[in-house]
Amino acid sequence: MPNQQIARGVFLAAVALFFAVNALRYPIGTLAHAGPGLFPLLICAPLLIIALATIVQARLADPEPLQFSPRNIALIMASLIGFVIASEYVNVTVGIIVLVFVAGFAANSYSWVRNLKIAIGLIVVAFIFQRFLGLNLRLL
Amino acid sequence: MEVLNNLAFGFGHALTPENLLYCAIGCVVGTLVGLLPGLGPLATISLLLPLTYSIPTGGALIMLAGIYYGAQYGDSVSAITMKIPHASSIVACIDGYQMTLKGKTGLALFTAGVSSFIGGTVAIVVLASLAPTLGTIALKFGPTDYCALMLFGFFCVSFVTTGSLLNGMAMCLLGVLLGQVGTDLETGLERFTMGLPSLVDGVSLVSLALGCFGIAEITKNLDAKEERTPFNGKIKLMPTWPEFKRIIPSALRGSVVGSFLGILPGGGPTIAQFAAYGLDKKVSKYKDEIGSGAIEGVAGQAAADEAAARTSFIPLMSIGIPENAVMALMMAAFIIKGIQPGPNMIAKHPDLFWGLVASMWIGNCFLLLLNVPLVRFWLSVFKIPYNVLFPSILFFCCIGTFSINNSLHDIYTTAAFGLIGYIMMRLSLDPAPLMLGFILGPMLEEYFRRSMLLSRGSFLTFFEHPISATLLSILGLFIAWQIYATLKGRRTTLAPADPHAASG
Repeated sequence: MPNQQIARGVFLAAVALFFAVNALRYPIGTLAHAGPGLFPLLICAPLLIIALATIVQARLADPEPLQFSPRNIALIMASLIGFVIASEYVNVTVGIIVLVFVAGFAANSYSWVRNLKIAIGLIVVAFIFQRFLGLNLRLL
Repeated sequence: MEVLNNLAFGFGHALTPENLLYCAIGCVVGTLVGLLPGLGPLATISLLLPLTYSIPTGGALIMLAGIYYGAQYGDSVSAITMKIPHASSIVACIDGYQMTLKGKTGLALFTAGVSSFIGGTVAIVVLASLAPTLGTIALKFGPTDYCALMLFGFFCVSFVTTGSLLNGMAMCLLGVLLGQVGTDLETGLERFTMGLPSLVDGVSLVSLALGCFGIAEITKNLDAKEERTPFNGKIKLMPTWPEFKRIIPSALRGSVVGSFLGILPGGGPTIAQFAAYGLDKKVSKYKDEIGSGAIEGVAGQAAADEAAARTSFIPLMSIGIPENAVMALMMAAFIIKGIQPGPNMIAKHPDLFWGLVASMWIGNCFLLLLNVPLVRFWLSVFKIPYNVLFPSILFFCCIGTFSINNSLHDIYTTAAFGLIGYIMMRLSLDPAPLMLGFILGPMLEEYFRRSMLLSRGSFLTFFEHPISATLLSILGLFIAWQIYATLKGRRTTLAPADPHAASG
């Protein structure tokens, strides 16, 4: 298990460096006439310092393990992407079925009947949204 | 007298059937959301933001405000009955849940309801009298003062909400950077868009909020694999007269503390609850009972909670700077509706301001009427198993994102922020300061550039203006104190280890 605090420092440093490297590609200008790159660069500097301080602090403190279980987040992501693809190529009704049945794997127990009931309920809700709130959903 | 006049004007606006309906919807939805796990006020407000596009401005703001303080109340109900706080009612868990264990759930809920009402009422008086005054002071603020005020807010929020200044500041800065994505307003250059057309207008606020607060939260709850046991106990609501008499002084104390702490940057309901609870523990007549299920332990914090939730509107509406993440979202709602919150808002849109203030009191009555007698009905919400709830919340996140631009592809952005939000959560990084940074980021840049332009590139300008100089000096002292405390803390933890090492 990687150390949570070190992982946090590395994550923050990576974000700071990403923005800093990109900001350098834009005109910096002077302080009096700031270009588009100046302000992001000024923000990246303290962020990078915080990231480094976090890493240093982590070396001194007791390590905390990083708890990360990829299964549930992967299932949720898959269900969302499935919803978009199914809604785009078929229709939102199929999208809802895909969403509910894929996300259902992340639940404590898996039940076809329950998923079917949820999906029917949500299709009804989507119908109400389309009819009464004027939402542009392609249900059929 | 002028305040009364203005309030009467406000009530005239808030009491229209339409606005009453929006207020009621806001309170009901808010309470529901406060009760349910997996959706906090932040996620709900962002979920319903697109819906408010078609509602008239006054109604939309009244509804969103109702959601916010309704959620605060609903949260305390779940904290008292089942010891599960979702957003902020950590303090209600202590004495509230103890009272439930003693079989006094009804009394605790009644106390919380009545105290919230008292707290809300006091806060509205504060709001109505203070916001216009503060607004006139805010007119004297220059760009440097605004910059300093925002930085000050970042520090306070980081320190208060996350407890760790480093983590909180990192999230604020990250939020500011995310706010930079999109077209630069002064030069028209596209920044950090990575060539994606969907990012040209900047990161969508709704996607960010739903990803970080909706999807990440759902996944966290799924990881925890907890099954909640619904509350099945008896509820006897009406208190006896001696019990009722105990509520009042504590609630009034809580209201004052809450109203005050709600105004300060970084303040808000959570810190107000702790302060009110601490105060009751010191000065209450029944202080020995607090901690083991005393009425005072519930009344003070509930009043402070509601009071702070309402007075936190003061900095937003009078200065134009939101002091916490929820207020930052409210500010986004104002801006979507074409209203710039700030010193000119009250003068320019008196109907909106006074209507909103009056609607808060009406919302107070709604909450009391709806929630105290109907609390049994609300508790039945807990019987919905999470396995049914979470696919529905996911679906609503999709619909919320879709409805902004009628674009399915925006859901990819929401999913991406869900993943990022989940990673941040596993790294113990709190997304609330990120939200504040994200919304204030573009403003911070604009004011910074303006002050640099006026001073011809000299940083000294921040110390030449009295307001910004004061704020920055306080910040400097605060940071120095933090560094000193950290170093001292390290020395004391190392010191006992040293002799041991020497002897060993």
